[in-house]
Amino acid sequence: MRPPSLAQALIAAAAPSNDYEIVAGDLHEEYLRIGHLSGARAANRWYWAQTLLSIPSLLSYSRSDKSALRQVGVALVALAVLLAMLTVLTLVDATYRTLFGDAHGSQQWAWFCINYANVVIFGAILARLVRSDGLRTTFCASLFLVLCFVVPAIAGHPGSQAPLAAWLYLLGAIPAMCIGAAIYQIVVRSTAT
Amino acid sequence: MFKRQPARVDKIPNIIYYVDNMAKGEYLGEFEHIVLLTILRLGDGAYGAMIRAEIERVTGRSPAIGTVHATLERLERKRLVASWIGEPTAERGGKAKRHFKIEADGVSALKNARKTLDQLHAGVSLRSAIA
Repeated sequence: MRPPSLAQALIAAAAPSNDYEIVAGDLHEEYLRIGHLSGARAANRWYWAQTLLSIPSLLSYSRSDKSALRQVGVALVALAVLLAMLTVLTLVDATYRTLFGDAHGSQQWAWFCINYANVVIFGAILARLVRSDGLRTTFCASLFLVLCFVVPAIAGHPGSQAPLAAWLYLLGAIPAMCIGAAIYQIVVRSTAT
Repeated sequence: MFKRQPARVDKIPNIIYYVDNMAKGEYLGEFEHIVLLTILRLGDGAYGAMIRAEIERVTGRSPAIGTVHATLERLERKRLVASWIGEPTAERGGKAKRHFKIEADGVSALKNARKTLDQLHAGVSLRSAIA
């Protein structure tokens, strides 16, 4: 009997780095016990309920080293990755426009997919670099990035006149970066155990 | 107009007294209280799954394992409990356990919480409150 793979992946994405094995082990132990008592279906239901209810708590705490020096280091790494990501996005955008001109129709979708793929990859890179609690750090970094655009726009910058689609495109960077970080953590943790 | 009389606790000497006696992390949240008592019931070496199952058995509440671990981490940060990593076992899919034991500060926090509740309950009749 094996716990649901997707639920295991969610735990792998959300759990703090030093506690992932502990939390997954506790869930596995109770899953087997419930499976023996009430059957696989009940155990699967229990595992899913525990996973979904645990995610907010797992994202809220950390067992990583919280020294001021380390926090400054993590912030600098996150800033460097964000700057690198913006540079790459600008270069990709400029290259795309040089090759195809202003995007229309299906080309616009291709441009959209390339940019988001970049954001997802940078989310994974950030999770790799900060290692501990990658998903949380990536979420904070992506939120910071989006606020860097949103706050000046709200404060009267001409960009605030942008259409709704442009705002949604910008806000999409938050889940896209988090997806990249989550994929990295799931892959690393599933190969480690 | 009604003029509010200063309550006893509003007086400066009392405020200083209460703050002076308020050690960091002395007050327990409800779930922290439950988790600490459960570790005490289970004895040294209790671990996440065991604590969660005991809470469910005794209280009828079914907390999420993530909530239990987040609370244990908070209690450890307050130095009310200590933890150590055990050996990986087959029934856990080859994954290790984190064992917990209550510290002296944890016992003091439980004593203080009990004393506070006893003081609050003293002289109060729950039966008359319903009537």
